[in-house]
Amino acid sequence: MTALLEVRDLSVSFLTSRGAVPVLAGVSLSVGEGEVVGLVGESGSGKSVTALAILGLLGEQGRVEGGEIRLDGRDLLPLPEREWLRVRGRQIAMVFQEPMTSLNPLLPVGFQVAEVLEAHLGLGRREALARAVELLRDVGIPDSGRRAQDYPHQLSGGMRQRVMIAMAMACRPRLLIGDEPTTALDVTIQAQILALLRDLGRAAGTAVLLISHDLGVVAAMASRVVVMYAGQVVEEAPARELFSAPRHPYTRLLLAMVPGVREKRSRLSAIAGSIPAPAAMPAGCRFHPRCPDAIPLCREAAPTLDAHGPDRRVRCWRADGVRP
Amino acid sequence: MREFTVGGRVFRAVDDVSFHVGPGETLGLVGESGCGKTTVGRLILRLLPANAGRIVFDGRDVTDVPERRLRDFRRAVQVVFQDPYSSLNPRLTVRDIVGEPLRNFGATRRAAAARVGELLDTVGLSPSYMTRYPHAFSGGQRQRIGIARALALGPRLLVCDEAVSSLDVSVQAQVLNLLADLQRQLGLALLFISHNLAVVRHVSHRVAVMYLGRLVEVAPEGILFEHPRHPYTRALLAAVPEVGPDALPPAVLPGEIPSPLDPPAGCRFQTRCPRAEARCRAAEPPLVEEAPGRFVRCYFPEPEPLRRVA
Amino acid sequence: MTTPGALAARAADLDEPAGREFWRRFGRSRNACLGGALVVLVTVAAVAAPWLVPYGYENTDLLAVWAEPSRAHLLGGDALGRDVLSRLIVGARVSLVVAVSVLALTLTVGTLAGMVAGYFGGWVDTALMRSADIVFAFPELILAILVAAMLGPGMPTVVVALAIVWWPGIARLTRSLTLALRSELFVDAAVVSATRPFRILVRHVLPNIVPPLIVRASIGVGFIVMAEATLSFLGIGVQEPLPTWGGMIRDGLVALRTEPYLALSASAALGVTIVGFNLLGDGLRDLLDPRVRDR
Repeated sequence: MTALLEVRDLSVSFLTSRGAVPVLAGVSLSVGEGEVVGLVGESGSGKSVTALAILGLLGEQGRVEGGEIRLDGRDLLPLPEREWLRVRGRQIAMVFQEPMTSLNPLLPVGFQVAEVLEAHLGLGRREALARAVELLRDVGIPDSGRRAQDYPHQLSGGMRQRVMIAMAMACRPRLLIGDEPTTALDVTIQAQILALLRDLGRAAGTAVLLISHDLGVVAAMASRVVVMYAGQVVEEAPARELFSAPRHPYTRLLLAMVPGVREKRSRLSAIAGSIPAPAAMPAGCRFHPRCPDAIPLCREAAPTLDAHGPDRRVRCWRADGVRP
Repeated sequence: MREFTVGGRVFRAVDDVSFHVGPGETLGLVGESGCGKTTVGRLILRLLPANAGRIVFDGRDVTDVPERRLRDFRRAVQVVFQDPYSSLNPRLTVRDIVGEPLRNFGATRRAAAARVGELLDTVGLSPSYMTRYPHAFSGGQRQRIGIARALALGPRLLVCDEAVSSLDVSVQAQVLNLLADLQRQLGLALLFISHNLAVVRHVSHRVAVMYLGRLVEVAPEGILFEHPRHPYTRALLAAVPEVGPDALPPAVLPGEIPSPLDPPAGCRFQTRCPRAEARCRAAEPPLVEEAPGRFVRCYFPEPEPLRRVA
Repeated sequence: MTTPGALAARAADLDEPAGREFWRRFGRSRNACLGGALVVLVTVAAVAAPWLVPYGYENTDLLAVWAEPSRAHLLGGDALGRDVLSRLIVGARVSLVVAVSVLALTLTVGTLAGMVAGYFGGWVDTALMRSADIVFAFPELILAILVAAMLGPGMPTVVVALAIVWWPGIARLTRSLTLALRSELFVDAAVVSATRPFRILVRHVLPNIVPPLIVRASIGVGFIVMAEATLSFLGIGVQEPLPTWGGMIRDGLVALRTEPYLALSASAALGVTIVGFNLLGDGLRDLLDPRVRDR
């Protein structure tokens, strides 16, 4: 599968009053045409920063220290802002977690969708509005002609997220990035939105990079999963393999710490300690202070992301010896 | 029962909700937005006045007791809130925050400080932290501070209002384990309010499900999750994505949650219920005790247990 | 959820004690530093007045009537031969004394009223807010003039008049801040911990409303100084022989074309003081506003 998006060795830091704080350290991942890839991690893992970097939205304080982001082979990082504007929204689109803050409260939602069409596809106002109504219908908003005139505050959370998805898919982008798109939604509405994303993605051939801290969401949607910890990728595998036989101790623990709704566990595993602060990263493997399988080598040398099979990469010295 | 007036229209955030919590047990209260579970929590804590109904604690009716005579009740019923960022006063030290309940009941500064040290230790934090301010701590640590504060007076019932919902998975696991340990050691009863079914399953002995201000089902944990009888409970469980290699996509329950300001006539779930019939639109079903400890509010409860996909 | 950049920034700042961080940011704010410098200048002049003045403010010298600035009289002399510079410096003291008194009065009364209204609501709230509305109905200066005229001239009158005009603004601000704080979870937690309302107000509400009040106060001092000058200009403020900048401007207007130094120097002093307080207030607001901090 040719890689649609390829991120290679991406390092990002943020400028603060104390100097540059490294947030991503050599992140590499790829998304193939039409593929759904899940990006999993807790807060501080760097998953949201990765998404923002891919869209060139790091802001004034964000600085890319190294690496490449290639879309269809073309490196996006050196592009001037003018070129980024053509990529954003058109080739790569994003859906955020909080639709209320991503939508303009002063404009009817139909206008906001139309705006995307006018800006990227050069449609005229009337044509764009008509197409916007169609798009709103495609994302499952009933009575879309009338609802296009509603303001964001008049819609429920699920509806607003559908509007966001309509805006994102309006130009049939090659890649859709969803940053916790369902985290703020009720579970029954989440199920609806996930089904929508899956159907739309499939119909338009759009690849999806789904970022979430919720392993269930990722398990339901992704064919391949990338796990991040403290600014690095620690494991990558096809979804089925990752969930049945995780190789990295962090992944293993993550799966053991989530309570299941289908069966009850007596006690949840827990990892002691917390995610290291960017300024105080442990020497060697970043996870070793909390790792139950750590050996002296883990403190001395940082493991690299090695291949463990055709589709699998693990950043751990003990990847072969770790039992699932 | 609790009414609110919004824009001149009265709506009942919580109506006809009745349940009990026994000593040392955990009742999970679960539901989606607008179901009223947080309001129930606030009513029980006497942060809101009730418009109708009774709250009876330890045999004593505390529904209308004025604040100044509620001191014993306050000692026995405490709370852990969801948001670790706004539940701690940013301008007070941890010692002041955790010690406040103690000082309210007459402890001297020194005695309170000593007890605060013990409490911090109980929740897994170093007593030396008591001189710091909340902004120095992570979300999980702040939540522990909140728990330490709640435990200060030796309560018998802890209301946990989405206490782990804003925490990372690893921190959530730590806090849930802590709560389980505390319950075992101290014989605490918990009213665990959450929208997260998996977490509720993990902590609860019994579970109550709410929808649009009403209780729709109450049952012991094992039974509710293996054989839910109310269509909403079933839909809710089916919508939770599974974490596993052969996870099925979560089942979709169509439709939106109706606005609490304008609930459907008759059964509140009929707009989305796959089994709704004329009877459901005509009149709301009562909450019926089908078996000891099992309540369902439905004319057509599901007879079959959940089938497992092998 | 805050942006990743803000989280990283906050992580870097966590170890620094809060007080020192404030002063570091203060140092970087142009407004705050410039404003602060001006305010300090005026305050020093006011406090050290008895030692700074070359002459007593009442001393007349017939030879110095309308004198040009010279070594003996750096800013010249006024209509009665009094040293302008000395009167300017003492005028600073008068202005600041009035300002501080008004602030003290309005901050105590207004904050108390606002907190009680905001926290307890009910008829207290209604009564307080209606009184505030009555005051708001009048243009500020007109009301001050009316009150001063009714009470007769003099410093106490000025203080009372300006306090009456200014307290409702503080009360309104405090009330809305209190209302917002009342729905904070830590206040709920205090109620559940059986904390009494008075204690909640003092411990939980008050410390959290102090920063916006400080900002409001520093911006408002500019108004108070201006209002006092206006009253003095009109002759119903602080009376002779105490020098006031407003009075000096009035006295100097007569000879503006030929001997401008009196009016101009008093105007300049007034302007510098007001600008200083306004800049300081702006700078403090940027520093203390929590939203601006998450850059």
